[in-house]
Amino acid sequence: MRKIVLVVLLSLPVVLFSQVPKGFSLVKDTAAFKQKMDTQSKIINSIESDFSQEKYLSVMSEKIISKGHFCFKKANMLRWEYFDPYKYIIAINKDKMYIKDNGKVNKYDINSNKMFKSINEMMMNTVQGNLLNNKDYKARIYENEKQYLLELSPLQKGAKDFLKVIQLYIDKADYAVVQVKMIEPSDDYTSIEFTNRKNNQSIDETKFILK
Amino acid sequence: MKRNLFLSSFLFVLLTGCSLGHYGRLKEVSPPTEALKPIFGDNFTSFLFKTNISIYNKEISGLLLTKQMSSGDYRIIFTTELGMKMFDFEFKDTSFTLQYCVPQFDRPALLKTLKNDIEMLLMNNISLLPRSYYSNKDETEMIHRVRMEKLSTYYFVEKSTQQIYKIERSSKVFKKVIISLNDYKEGVPANIIIKHSDIKLKIELNLLKR
Repeated sequence: MRKIVLVVLLSLPVVLFSQVPKGFSLVKDTAAFKQKMDTQSKIINSIESDFSQEKYLSVMSEKIISKGHFCFKKANMLRWEYFDPYKYIIAINKDKMYIKDNGKVNKYDINSNKMFKSINEMMMNTVQGNLLNNKDYKARIYENEKQYLLELSPLQKGAKDFLKVIQLYIDKADYAVVQVKMIEPSDDYTSIEFTNRKNNQSIDETKFILK
Repeated sequence: MKRNLFLSSFLFVLLTGCSLGHYGRLKEVSPPTEALKPIFGDNFTSFLFKTNISIYNKEISGLLLTKQMSSGDYRIIFTTELGMKMFDFEFKDTSFTLQYCVPQFDRPALLKTLKNDIEMLLMNNISLLPRSYYSNKDETEMIHRVRMEKLSTYYFVEKSTQQIYKIERSSKVFKKVIISLNDYKEGVPANIIIKHSDIKLKIELNLLKR
């Protein structure tokens, strides 16, 4: 009897953690999904989209909502811009990173700073839906009628301290990421929803340099 | 000897100049009928500020959310624009709890300074401390002085509006922190600037929404 209780208690976190999200079922053929994601990301050269970011702070039951627009161009160019309720822009141009805040521009060398490097990787992979190939995360794939849900749990201790899981909601029709949700160990989360997405339109490269 | 005398008289003028030049001109008055109104103690609503912290040569920007959870209980959370939580402070009456902070902020001196600055704005424990009251020369301002062990905090209230427009924390001689509260909107300052004189630290808060 004691043994059974012990086994149940020990497996409880596993059961809780691998719970299938409501309305979704587990995808068994992950190879086919990966291949389609890869094929899709290969034919995309640029993305432009509006986004709405929601930061939920559980202890205060408060949501901070900010809105903006982003542009991505292959390879490694990204402009992530907030315009409501504050103005703030991050632009990544290959190995340079620009931050415009309060009308002031700061320029950084991405390789000079570990944090910038991981921001860069994270943002690039998120907009492209490329996180699946990252060995730092354990991936699970779920689906419903309209969407795939890619759940990524960090494996490294440092990342685990501030991130429980990343959820990427992917449209089945075009394999585009429609929502990203980053859930912290405290169950606070940051959710970003993408709307008005346009693929492969020409984007002027000056957008990725801030002055 | 001559040089020493010159130096000490110069120092004397300089030091007393700081102290007398400012607070010395204030005259002590009896306690006002209007109590000091807490800046964020307003109906338990939350306030969101775009925040810029410049410390020595580093710039950190983000969003500061303050919320009065219940009477005397405040929660202050700072996140980056991208949504990453940087610190989470809890102030309950006279106690303070650091609920969370990233390694970047995990420095005792920095945390203590931030805690003290926010405490000055929350005015949570001032009713328990000895206070005295002053007026300026033309009696347009009421100054509430809150005495602590070695320092005093001065809250400058404009009599016509009953709004706190400046807070100063000083030792007997030096001003250590000056907070200016500007551009009041519906009873809340839309712009707050915290400046330290002994360390290179400036914090600017701009109200986004309530």
